[in-house]
Amino acid sequence: MKKLILKRVLQIIPLLIGMSFVSFIIIQSSPGDYFAQMKMNPEISPSTIEQMRTSFGLDKPIMIQYLMWLKNMCKLDFGISFAYHIPVKTLIKFRIKNTLCLAVFSIFLSWLIAIPIAVIAGYKEGSWFDKFFSLLAYISISLPSFFVALLFVYFISKTAVLPLGGTRSIFDINAGSFEIFKDYLKHLLVPGIVLCFVNIGGLFRLMKNNFVEIFNTPYILAAWARGVPARSIIFKHTLRNALNPMFTILGMEIGSILNGAALTEIICGWPGMGSLILEAVLSHDLYLVMGSLIISGFLLIVGNLIGDILLAFFDPRIRIS
Amino acid sequence: MRNFLGRLKKYSKVSYFSFWFLIIFYLVSFFADILIPYHFDYQFRDKPYHPPSKIHFIDTEGRFHIKPFVYETFVDDPIFRTYKENYSVRYPIKFLVDGPERNVFFIFKTKKYLFGVDAPAGIFLFGTDTYGRDIFSRLLYGSRISLSISIIGVLISFVLGMITGGFAGYFGGITDQVLMRIVEILMVFPSFYLMLSLRAMFPLNLSSIQVYFLIVMILSLIGWAGLARIIRGMVLSIKEEDYVLAARSLGLSHWRILVFHILPNTFSYTITAITISVPGYIIGESALSLLGLGIQEPYPSWGNILSSTVGNIRVISDAPWLLLAGAFIFIILINFNILGDALRNVLDPKNW
Amino acid sequence: MYLTRKTGEMEKILEIKNLYVGRIDGTKILPVLNNIELSIYKGELFCLVGESGSGKTTLALSIIRLLPKSFRILSGEIILCNKKITGISEELIRGLRGKLVSMIFQDPGAYLDPLFNIDTHLRESFHGNPVEFNQLKIKVITEVGLSPEILSVYPHQLSGGQQQRVLIAMALINNPSIIIADEPTTALDVLTTKQIIKLLDQIRIKHNPGMLFITHDLNLALSTGTRIGIMYRGCIVEIFKPNKEKPLHPYTKILMGYSEENHSDISDTTLMDTKQETDEKCIFFERCPEKKPLCNRKVDFIWRDETTGIRCIKYGQNSQM
Repeated sequence: MKKLILKRVLQIIPLLIGMSFVSFIIIQSSPGDYFAQMKMNPEISPSTIEQMRTSFGLDKPIMIQYLMWLKNMCKLDFGISFAYHIPVKTLIKFRIKNTLCLAVFSIFLSWLIAIPIAVIAGYKEGSWFDKFFSLLAYISISLPSFFVALLFVYFISKTAVLPLGGTRSIFDINAGSFEIFKDYLKHLLVPGIVLCFVNIGGLFRLMKNNFVEIFNTPYILAAWARGVPARSIIFKHTLRNALNPMFTILGMEIGSILNGAALTEIICGWPGMGSLILEAVLSHDLYLVMGSLIISGFLLIVGNLIGDILLAFFDPRIRIS
Repeated sequence: MRNFLGRLKKYSKVSYFSFWFLIIFYLVSFFADILIPYHFDYQFRDKPYHPPSKIHFIDTEGRFHIKPFVYETFVDDPIFRTYKENYSVRYPIKFLVDGPERNVFFIFKTKKYLFGVDAPAGIFLFGTDTYGRDIFSRLLYGSRISLSISIIGVLISFVLGMITGGFAGYFGGITDQVLMRIVEILMVFPSFYLMLSLRAMFPLNLSSIQVYFLIVMILSLIGWAGLARIIRGMVLSIKEEDYVLAARSLGLSHWRILVFHILPNTFSYTITAITISVPGYIIGESALSLLGLGIQEPYPSWGNILSSTVGNIRVISDAPWLLLAGAFIFIILINFNILGDALRNVLDPKNW
Repeated sequence: MYLTRKTGEMEKILEIKNLYVGRIDGTKILPVLNNIELSIYKGELFCLVGESGSGKTTLALSIIRLLPKSFRILSGEIILCNKKITGISEELIRGLRGKLVSMIFQDPGAYLDPLFNIDTHLRESFHGNPVEFNQLKIKVITEVGLSPEILSVYPHQLSGGQQQRVLIAMALINNPSIIIADEPTTALDVLTTKQIIKLLDQIRIKHNPGMLFITHDLNLALSTGTRIGIMYRGCIVEIFKPNKEKPLHPYTKILMGYSEENHSDISDTTLMDTKQETDEKCIFFERCPEKKPLCNRKVDFIWRDETTGIRCIKYGQNSQM
């Protein structure tokens, strides 16, 4: 098991190098010298520009420049944001927490709802229950996240049942940490539900297909033939086997969650990575764009890694080979 | 083809309907120039955020009219932008009405519009936007832009995917290693972030044509990787088939074998893959335009019709008909999804 | 070898009377099993031989009432240890599976749940007092020729032969009255096949259950079975004792190489089509080398004595009169 994890972690290294290379190419091929632009900006002191020049080796040959970019990336140093005049790292650190909270919340919520419904629909395949939820799933996978988000914003604008935009509405310094947490959760609710709504359909379909497939395998037939009780067959054998591929999906889901989250964040005004990269693109803040890109790729890799480790943990065929 | 349609119909009536719906929708968007009641950029300065026009059959005195008609509207409350109808004159809906001159298909100029009402009244099936432009006309016109971007984008990434996937799978070895590593690295990034980063390489203020091709390029650059990986897998298995070995023993060139004997066999799958991936391109284009990074005003696209609502709760609350663009996207996507699911079964040789 | 084999004390543990099973295809019902007559006595090894698609597995699955969803028992009776199991509820039959009747399958690897170890599989199969289980599992696992260490191992770590022994152990643990083995050696190599056959034979002699051994290998059946049933297109055409008498049915003779098949009347459709037209003429009509004009009508299975029978007008009448 340890060996397996180590192997997977080592496999990440070439991906990270590739990632840094892609981002380096994007920065290099962007037209215009950004430092010239910065120099014209009176708010940026010449010493800051000089500091960045040396740290990214912009006066050196291109290979050296790449190696320095790689070295800085390893230190998570993505330079200084042109627009905010603070290190990109600091900006991302502030935003990534919100995006992760949003992603984890919506994944948790969508699994919690989709898995039980999928199990029932799979068990009663072809029933009205199955047909009804399959239709809902079709609708869910066909709804673009931004449209759902806009519909929710419309709904909130009419009813004002939940707060929208930002992460908090209590700014009292004396507020207890539980109060602040509750407030944060309330703000999380709208983007979280939107994201859950968009992802739940795909999740349902996958889980239902897995369940039906496993339910028709020989080993389930053999379990019936041995006289194993129905409950045990459904929840112990079928469910656990059907959940296994979902762990791989969990890893991949992080990617689609991040994509959907970005648009949802922007529309719902949730200060996360998605709104950060948009602001960066709009203000042509290239180092901030690259920092966000690399971190988002890194999150995806970590998500896949977690999925693989979970799968190995639950599947003896991978754990013991 | 008839055979295919028969199978599709047999598989499910709904998917058969989706197929024709999409064909008709594409035709409609292609002929949007002819079908719209107003030019996409024609502004009714005095009617911003006008709600969808009420189409009447019965007038104020209770008489029934065969020809549907509208009333002229005027601003009732300028703060809340509410409109009231002026019941004094009826404006029946007419066909082939005159309007400002415009270009159709960049070929000929005309003053005729398919349908409309006499000035000063206006017919706004889906309401108007901030500048008082008819959203119905903009949606139809925009669907041509959005749908063509997705089709061109998917075809380009399909060609790229065919070439790389075919080479990687057929030649294997170092070619395969290099190409697949590139694909893997591209797939490491969440597509939205990669899309924005690629967009950031270019200036924000590009001309409409430039932006159009930029979006096509960005979308196909992001999309080809997944296709390449799948085609590679298929080529890998097909190249071990007996008939390919036979072709090789006959001394056919690698190029011939790959192009004439292997890639055509991935075709039924790739048709399905294309159908399934078109929604991604539509969403990609809409998202970019929605964020103001795609198609620029005054040209409409599904995304940028929605863009005035982003971060503006009051607009959403006052003019929810702007969200109809989202509904259009949804309808197209659900039909693509239904059709894609059906094709997966219908085109699978195992199910013949 | 034949001498060690007793027919037992003639206690009927399975009786099938005039069984019809059909598959529902849309609105039509396609016949799968026709007019099945079968009885199995305690301690005997009944071999059921037939081509693939002749309905052997369907027959086995009807006995434990685990037919696929689209299959239905249309008429007839199945009596297991004096209990009629056709028409009783799913709950009642569930209690009998594994206890009265247990089953061994073709491809042993596919019939073991990959996520659970052998101990869990055995524990689930056992229907008695859990306290007895710990002693019993060691006894059973050693009886099938495995070491007790195997209990903590997962299915994918075992060889095909070991997996089949585990399946046998699971079938044996409740000491059932009848064991159905559905081609248990097809997926195994020659040497392992021999060992498994020997093991099944030992078990039969020691515990004295009835055994229904399904195979497509006539030679294997001739060398191991106490009685043999031949299946053709959903019907049992003959039941005979291999060492006592020579088979009479034309189909059996062809299988054993006594006579040549009649090819003249076989069109492609008769070879390809499903089991149909059985009401109109003898099912073997087209291929039969000994056919007569009077074969052109419905033929039923006729018991010649308690243990043997035939489905042929010519020989059925001969021996009865």
